[in-house]
Amino acid sequence: MDYRNLMSWTVRPQVVRSVVSAFSVIITVTSCAPVSPPDPQATLIAKGKEIFFNERFNGNGRTCGTCHPLQNNFTLDPAFIATLPATDALFVAEFNPDLKKSFENPTLMRQFGLILENLDGFDDLENKFVMRGIPHVLALRTSVNSPQGPRTGWSGDGAPGDGSLRSFATGAVIQHFTKTLNRIPGVDFRLPTDEELNALEAFQLSLGRQQDLTLPLALKGTVPKRGQAIFLDNGLGKCNLCHVNAGATANFGGGNIGNANFNTGVENLPDQPARLTGEKVPPDDGLGTPGDGTFNTPPLVEAADSGPFFHNNAIETIEGAVAFYNGQAFNNSPSGRALAAGDPNGIGIRLDATQVVAVAAFLRVVNTLENIRESIALLESSLDKHGMEAKELLDRAVSETGDSIRVLEGGGLHPEAVARLQEAKRLTRKANRSIFLRRKLTREAIEEQQRARAFLVETA
Amino acid sequence: MKLKRVMGVVATGIWLWSGMPSAHGQKATEIFIPIGQSPGLSNTISVIGTIETLDPRGHTIAIAGASGGWSATITGRTKIWLDKSKLRLTNEKGTFADLRRGQLVEVKYEDPEGRSKAKGPADWIKVQITEPSAKAGETRQ
Repeated sequence: MDYRNLMSWTVRPQVVRSVVSAFSVIITVTSCAPVSPPDPQATLIAKGKEIFFNERFNGNGRTCGTCHPLQNNFTLDPAFIATLPATDALFVAEFNPDLKKSFENPTLMRQFGLILENLDGFDDLENKFVMRGIPHVLALRTSVNSPQGPRTGWSGDGAPGDGSLRSFATGAVIQHFTKTLNRIPGVDFRLPTDEELNALEAFQLSLGRQQDLTLPLALKGTVPKRGQAIFLDNGLGKCNLCHVNAGATANFGGGNIGNANFNTGVENLPDQPARLTGEKVPPDDGLGTPGDGTFNTPPLVEAADSGPFFHNNAIETIEGAVAFYNGQAFNNSPSGRALAAGDPNGIGIRLDATQVVAVAAFLRVVNTLENIRESIALLESSLDKHGMEAKELLDRAVSETGDSIRVLEGGGLHPEAVARLQEAKRLTRKANRSIFLRRKLTREAIEEQQRARAFLVETA
Repeated sequence: MKLKRVMGVVATGIWLWSGMPSAHGQKATEIFIPIGQSPGLSNTISVIGTIETLDPRGHTIAIAGASGGWSATITGRTKIWLDKSKLRLTNEKGTFADLRRGQLVEVKYEDPEGRSKAKGPADWIKVQITEPSAKAGETRQ
């Protein structure tokens, strides 16, 4: 097309009127099209999303999304924190004098993504606290339930009331949203209503995977395939005992027992980054008051792009997280000793460096496959949407695809898939800027995602 | 067969350390939740009513509520919390000495079936404080 001719047009008023009129007809026809009745569950989830990201509960300015941002896999890490403005409500302890002491530790927050929690009570704020990382809230439908009741948060006891995911927000508002350390309901914050709790629960349960994988996958990569075999080998990697199908449930041979707590010795790791700073970091005793030293099992499919790892963000990389199970901290822990007691050679877990990398490569690939699944779902969903709604879905697809690229590149894995993902990301960005070609470009991006997936796993 | 044996040992061993105690409820923030607002508990698992009688020797209280009567035993494990939210003051820990006839209380039993059994040891008791001067141990009717 010769754009010089277009540029030389003289735009006459009647042409403008005709164009406006034509768009008016289109808009009118669209708005009069039959609309299906709203799905009550979808409405509840949408309401929950609105509350999660925008409701401050009359508190210090934080929302659930302050610590669980959508654009960072619903978790915080130092790199993301570094991008936030100084006025962000996350840093409220830095600018609200009432919260300057004993509410957060800004040094540990900025350096290691750690949040202060008073899990053993609020009667000695200067000394009784723990510093914890922020778990993502993806795939909660697969990870919260256990025969002993729901398990939320790093030690499984994160919620007041009945301890359910629904009740979690109430405890979070009291701990993290308060204007002052008095924590008076109706003064320092308001508690969520029953309707808000229902909506927040529905929204959180809608996030990420709705079911566990079924391993083994027909992986194509040599190293990830070996990593999967080690992961599933109950005599070698032993990973699948506590992370069945790379999820958050356990099975020791007598059937799946749901989500469980274990003492894996993370608290006994030497040279924990937060403690190296000299800042006060009291021991974290895990579940209960006093604690029993156990912590909750997180799902692994989402791990590779949601570090740092463990309840204290002690380890930055997925390779380091796998290697933890080789070390003395784990093998001397109750869980490590139990594994050794069941091993014919008395070994807890002992993997060589190549095996550690292979298991990590497997975790990187399953994480990428999940990101591709989510990206395709977002892209497909955007095809039916308009305006800002479509834009948000495409933005999220770009973000997920970026994660896929980073996760594979970080392990030196599947460069041909990375190339396809980069093209998918480029097309998605272009679709997001285009008015007339958005759907066409989105479909092309979906095809690129599918091509990338085909490099990772055999597809039916 | 050998693998099954190994798995059995592993199962037993790990299960012993796998957080068998109930995962229900992080108690720490519960202290700040006013009577009747504990999510998933208030008036379904817990009971709400006024104290009818107190037995300091047996450390029991009788509670009369809209839907019945209950008794609860205060043990060494029972947390007593003074709900001062009506006064717009911070809730505090209390003791048996803070309990008085006529006070509005919410009781959660240790046994999840405690409400239907209408008796048993209390896990926690919230006591509504409505007098501005009242502090722990100084509550007056």
